[in-house]
Amino acid sequence: MRVAMIGTGYVGLVSGACFSEFGIDVVCVDTDADKIARLNRGETPIFEPGLDALIEANTKSGRLSFTTDLAAAVKAAEAVFIAVGTPSRRGDGHADLSYVYEAARQIAAALDGYTVVVTKSTVPVGTGQEVARVIREARPDADFDVASNPEFLREGSAIEDFMRPDRVVIGTESERAQAVMSELYRPLFLRETPIVWTALQTAELIKYAANTFLATKITFINEVADLCERVGANVQEVAKAIGLDGRIGAKFLHPGPGYGGSCFPKDTRALVATARDAGAPLTIIEQVVAVNDARKKQMAEKIIDACGGSVAGKTIAVLGLTFKPNTDDMRESASLDIVPALQDAGATVRAYDPEGMDEAKDLLNGLVWCADAYDAMTGADAVAILTEWNQFRALDLGRMKGLLKEPLMIDLRNIYNPAEMAAAGFRYTSVGRPENGI
Amino acid sequence: MRIAMIGTGYVGLVSGACFSEFGVDVVCVDKDESKIKTLEAGGLPIYEPGLDNLVVANRRAGRLSFTTDLAGAVAEADAVFIAVGTPSRRGDGHADLSYVFAAAEEIAKALDGYTVVVTKSTVPVGTGREVKHIIANTRPDADFDVVSNPEFLREGSAINDFMRPDRVVIGIEGHRARELMRELYRPLYLAETPIIFTSLETAELIKYAANTFLATKITFINEVADLCERVGANVHDVAKGIGLDGRIGRKFLHPGPGYGGSCFPKDTLALVRTAQEAGAPLRIIETVVDINAKRKRAMADVVIETCGGSVAGKTIAILGLTFKPNTDDMRDAPSLDIVPALIEAGASVRAFDPVGMEEAKKLLSGVDWGDDAYATMQDADALVIVTEWNEFRALDLERVKRLLKSPILVDLRNIYEPREIVEQGFTYRSIGRPYPPRRD
Ligand SMILES: NC(=O)c1ccc[n+]([C@@H]2O[C@H](COP(=O)([O-])OP(=O)(O)OC[C@H]3O[C@@H](n4cnc5c(N)ncnc54)[C@H](O)[C@@H]3O)[C@@H](O)[C@H]2O)c1
Ligand SMILES: NC(=O)c1ccc[n+]([C@@H]2O[C@H](COP(=O)([O-])OP(=O)(O)OC[C@H]3O[C@@H](n4cnc5c(N)ncnc54)[C@H](O)[C@@H]3O)[C@@H](O)[C@H]2O)c1
Repeated sequence: MRVAMIGTGYVGLVSGACFSEFGIDVVCVDTDADKIARLNRGETPIFEPGLDALIEANTKSGRLSFTTDLAAAVKAAEAVFIAVGTPSRRGDGHADLSYVYEAARQIAAALDGYTVVVTKSTVPVGTGQEVARVIREARPDADFDVASNPEFLREGSAIEDFMRPDRVVIGTESERAQAVMSELYRPLFLRETPIVWTALQTAELIKYAANTFLATKITFINEVADLCERVGANVQEVAKAIGLDGRIGAKFLHPGPGYGGSCFPKDTRALVATARDAGAPLTIIEQVVAVNDARKKQMAEKIIDACGGSVAGKTIAVLGLTFKPNTDDMRESASLDIVPALQDAGATVRAYDPEGMDEAKDLLNGLVWCADAYDAMTGADAVAILTEWNQFRALDLGRMKGLLKEPLMIDLRNIYNPAEMAAAGFRYTSVGRPENGI
Repeated sequence: MRIAMIGTGYVGLVSGACFSEFGVDVVCVDKDESKIKTLEAGGLPIYEPGLDNLVVANRRAGRLSFTTDLAGAVAEADAVFIAVGTPSRRGDGHADLSYVFAAAEEIAKALDGYTVVVTKSTVPVGTGREVKHIIANTRPDADFDVVSNPEFLREGSAINDFMRPDRVVIGIEGHRARELMRELYRPLYLAETPIIFTSLETAELIKYAANTFLATKITFINEVADLCERVGANVHDVAKGIGLDGRIGRKFLHPGPGYGGSCFPKDTLALVRTAQEAGAPLRIIETVVDINAKRKRAMADVVIETCGGSVAGKTIAILGLTFKPNTDDMRDAPSLDIVPALIEAGASVRAFDPVGMEEAKKLLSGVDWGDDAYATMQDADALVIVTEWNEFRALDLERVKRLLKSPILVDLRNIYEPREIVEQGFTYRSIGRPYPPRRD
């Protein structure tokens, strides 16, 4: 079995590497010649635990290769995956499908023999049918089927997620395409991973429904956290107790500064737009989007409040910039709202992130970039934890007190214990928990 | 160990019976004399599978009794549970706490020796502290602690839920009360049920947070179902595809006519009010409340639309009235919106419910009551399934077709398979499953 992976970003590269690990011949294609050159030199353009080793092993065994030559890769393939980006279109929140359709046209031109064209990118309902139409128009003679196979991997645990997913969703009504897809996912099938076969449209919707539900769950607990602060309850105990309810589940009930990243913000906006166009607005998700946008901005206020109502002329140490730990991804990270708001309020920001600073430098200006967490805190009036990297979980509190002008910590990820922080002499603010514990 | 259960409704009776089954001596108190008489005569005022056996066995063993004498029961008890109703207050949606506070006062007067007063009713944050005030004011000499111990049982599976809960939540201050509550829940503790001790406020909020989250989950899939109808997707496949995600879970992803019942509607409303007053509005839940109310009304339009745009002069047969199967509870049931709307649109409504008709008769007027499913649909212009009682799941479709004037089936619970029904010659409408599937 030979696969061409069109788009060698996060999803394309991880999926390509994992399929090759399954024993399939994979060619990863990208228009970005620089990216391909780096991959061919043995460099990995993204930060993802375990990916280096996987790529190295499979390129060595000859099953995984990289190219900019889309036509050749497609010609030789039985399945072509579209894994290009689908960012939010400016203005209306719709998914920008120009990369997908451009890829479809290029694929069409190169098709040779029966081929399944699989959309792995997250695309709105109806895109698969449109891809089929684009290909058919360009190549009326082509022998192909389209399928939707949305990807659920998460950055930071992408390989594990791909290799041991909760389920695989495959949308196609063609039996020939089903046979090809079954063959591709055979190793997972043998491991008893549930494979959910659906119609094309349904598979497309599943990806958005899953992400928007999870965004709703996060936003729900964030709002409950705010209420806890007002009524003197503890959101962690609330989360624990409701999470034990089998109908709710413990995961995704961690309050924080609002969701960010490359998927939730754009997927929630895209589904809202799709639903409006279809005449069946998803009012809950619309509210989730609004609440989350407002929340990220409010987090700067929370820091300012903790600093006594003003940060003018003060220095704030910011630990963590990426939208979550174990990634260098800065897309729609809460830090992109918080840092500029602190600067606008007159603060100097000293920041450190273990992996995200290269990315962050393109998106944030006027910060002092620091060498590590302690460097960031040196001479600062307060320290704010924005991303829960492991290395921030066990900071030396004594040393911090020596470095900070004031022992003040704002912990937007609840990684410290309020009672312990109080005992250590810190003024400590977190999310949804009484200031000094119970 | 002796306990008094104040309020012998759904929660009080089930909890009381289950505690007595644990070996505790339980006196269930209610001010409704007829209810206590019924119970003493061996009858049950509510319908709940398995409850009758439990009550009979524990009465016989002498561990469970019923009375209207609150003072006598409280004086002897080590723990007193408040399990009275906390309905929505008319107008503002707040939980009406008058029954709780009245019970607290009566309890205070009767306290004798150290007693733990436990709120089992679902009450807003701060109520436990208020109960404490009331008791302390009424009886400055009383030796007591207050505890919050919200109940998570579901009608229809109440006994199993009480005996094998996902967790027990106990909001508490002080060691004496903690020991007593541990003792009371000892059989569950031994069965390794997680017992979560929190502050009073946190325990109170947990109950609302759980119910509002579940209401959100239902409403989420209901909105997705509507979208599925528009874009030609199947909501059951969507529910399966997302439900397999361990962070989501498959439960509570069944689309339907909107949630009803004695808990979700009032608890969502009450938490919305609490949060607004605390200055931390819960906008997602506000939206959920709003969507669900509109949805129940919109279900009548679904019926009307399927009947070709008008039901004036037509007869509509309704199967199922309770808010869910296996209960006689009619509180906030979708049928209470759907039936009046159909009548208003000019339809004659004939309705049947296996257990709920007696309750329903108090709440719905102008309805022709059927004797069974088939008698109800005789010569009707359309059949509507509102509640998924098991006996409606395998109707004889040939017979249904013969009895109906026109073979129209509106299935608000998706208990039939679209393909089969359509092949039988029915016009079929369900929720979130376009049929015939759209193909382009
Ligand atoms: N990142 C995630 O965690 C994640 C998870 C699940 C799903 N997704 C979805 O997967 C899709 C891809 O996301 P990503 O994060 O990998 O994006 P990305 O931006 O990292 O990668 C996209 C790549 O596609 C390349 N590309 C664009 N047009 C091309 C063309 N015509 N031919 C060849 N290459 C082309 C780009 O150069 C880029 O390298 C999106 O739809 C996203 O929503 C992402
Ligand atoms: N029904 C459920 O499924 C469920 C589940 C969990 C929690 N709850 C909560 O439990 C509480 C009780 O609900 P329910 O459904 O059992 O209510 P219910 O209306 O069935 O029962 C309440 C009973 O309390 C009695 N009562 C009122 N004041 C009294 C007094 N001062 N002394 C003695 N008896 C008194 C009433 O006569 C009535 O019989 C509510 O707060 C509810 O939200 C209910």
